[in-house]
Amino acid sequence: MAALQAILNGVLVGGIYALIAMGMALVFGVMRLVNFAHGAFLMVGMYAAYFGYTLFKINPYWGFGLVGAALFILGMAVYWLLVRRVMGQSDFLQILLTEGIALCLVGGAQLLFTGDYRSISLPLADRTATWGPLNFNVAYVVSFVIAVLAVTSMYLYMKYTEMGRAIRGVAQNRGVAPLMGIRVQWISGISFAFGVACAGAAGALLLPIFYVNPTIGSPYNLKSFVIVVLGGMGSVEGAALGGLILGVTEGLTAYYWSDSYTQVVDFVLFLAVLLLRPQGLFGKKAP
Amino acid sequence: MSRSGLVSSAIFFGLLLSLPLWLKDAYLQQIVFRIVIFAILGMAWNLVGGYAGQLSLGHVAYFGIGAYSVALFHEAFDWNPWLGTLAGVVLACLAALLIGSLTFRLRGPYFVLSTIAAAEILRLLALNLSFTHGAIGMIAPGFFEEPNGDRKTYYAALPLLGVAFALTAWTHRSRFGYYLRAIRENEDTAMAVGINPAVEKLKALLFSAALVAAAGALYAGVFQFIGPDSVLAIDLSVQMALIAMLGGAATVWGPIVGAVVLTVAAEGLKAYLERAHLFFYGLLLVVVVLFLPGGLVSIVKQRWFRRTAARAQAA
Repeated sequence: MAALQAILNGVLVGGIYALIAMGMALVFGVMRLVNFAHGAFLMVGMYAAYFGYTLFKINPYWGFGLVGAALFILGMAVYWLLVRRVMGQSDFLQILLTEGIALCLVGGAQLLFTGDYRSISLPLADRTATWGPLNFNVAYVVSFVIAVLAVTSMYLYMKYTEMGRAIRGVAQNRGVAPLMGIRVQWISGISFAFGVACAGAAGALLLPIFYVNPTIGSPYNLKSFVIVVLGGMGSVEGAALGGLILGVTEGLTAYYWSDSYTQVVDFVLFLAVLLLRPQGLFGKKAP
Repeated sequence: MSRSGLVSSAIFFGLLLSLPLWLKDAYLQQIVFRIVIFAILGMAWNLVGGYAGQLSLGHVAYFGIGAYSVALFHEAFDWNPWLGTLAGVVLACLAALLIGSLTFRLRGPYFVLSTIAAAEILRLLALNLSFTHGAIGMIAPGFFEEPNGDRKTYYAALPLLGVAFALTAWTHRSRFGYYLRAIRENEDTAMAVGINPAVEKLKALLFSAALVAAAGALYAGVFQFIGPDSVLAIDLSVQMALIAMLGGAATVWGPIVGAVVLTVAAEGLKAYLERAHLFFYGLLLVVVVLFLPGGLVSIVKQRWFRRTAARAQAA
């Protein structure tokens, strides 16, 4: 039963991972750009939610939408001011640029908010629901449900709207997309901003169950790489599944081995997938 | 190396050798020592990241292996730091063989991510294993007894800088260096003309890892206290890349220029803003990528070419 509990905890965390990784997968799929600042944007989202709660009493469970919108605008600005300039250049420069942006965000947060650990305490986080032999922390469940809803609506948006089709079109073929009347530059900006918004909203959802400090993003950065690789780079559905897989793997590692080795297992898994199945667990095409 | 190159490197090393004689201020000496270490790291990274164009953001792994070897072998077998350094270099080369043969199969972002993953695995192991004492860190033995231990360590670092410099200068002009640059420009074309990218990249990484490990051992011997967050932090990997890129990737003098500028600027900034260094590095990285992808050395080079071209036109 305890193992089942570990799996359940993994699934609950995995839902939030899925939301984080989906943003990265979207950016990679459309722009072929690995956003090394993804975790840093998540951290920004957490701080935004934190100050929203402490200053304006905005509950992160509905404030995550506001945080997502704010991060969307931030992402748009970062795209037009910085990222746009390296599109079409080598991976080398693109990665260094996003790494530089990440350092600016983390360093900026250190300057503004110091390195202190901060957290909020929602009354919800102390409640536990029991169902048979299993225990649910209510805050985890609410975050999970919202994350799953966000992932699903994003998936539907990609599948059925005109904008979603345009985004998928650019992801499929950057060269042909403009011939179909799609403004590639504009779509790239939207996708980047969407990715950043996903990270920010996920940050807001993590806040009730976690603490925040300026460097909190970097493990999530690496985790979303792992997930995106697991799901096949650039596949949004794959990222959702990959998130759940990573969450469950971590839950089981913590249960059978030790909490401190969860990240080691993450990275070993990551290297193994990259080397043995570079197209991801569900992908068909080699990268 | 050209004649002017030989002369300038002779002057450069002459200055460094005589430095403790005319620079008496202990604080400034410490800054120069840090510049030397960073220049070694930048040059080592430059072989893989600059010449071969493989953006490794996991070089801190080799630094950590060097540093931890000094401390671990001292604690376990009471080895002196020189023996520890040697062991560290050998271990780092073995690690480079393993990491390189795995990660060099990947390209672009996949390669970058895998180097980070490899370095992070080492950091997490150092953080969680019992014999590395986790986050508490380890005490490392110093290389020299007092008095004048710092000065002796400085003179121990200079030959390492010399080796790194000579290796870079050789790479710059040798067939090996051209192979690396061919791989950087287009790996498939390089293969088509008979270069074996896997072997050449691995060679570059071995040289690089050995230098970085030796620098890590030196760091451990000087600061005598190491931990996962000081010698295995991902920030240090980024810093190595930044040093080389800021000065000029795939140039002989670039990493040295980068190390001087970065260290002096960071030190100058420290007086004003205690916690600003990460922000500053990030800003610098963004500026270099967007406006100065050739590094500081490229400005000088451009001006030099323009002048010689103007002179040729006049004549």
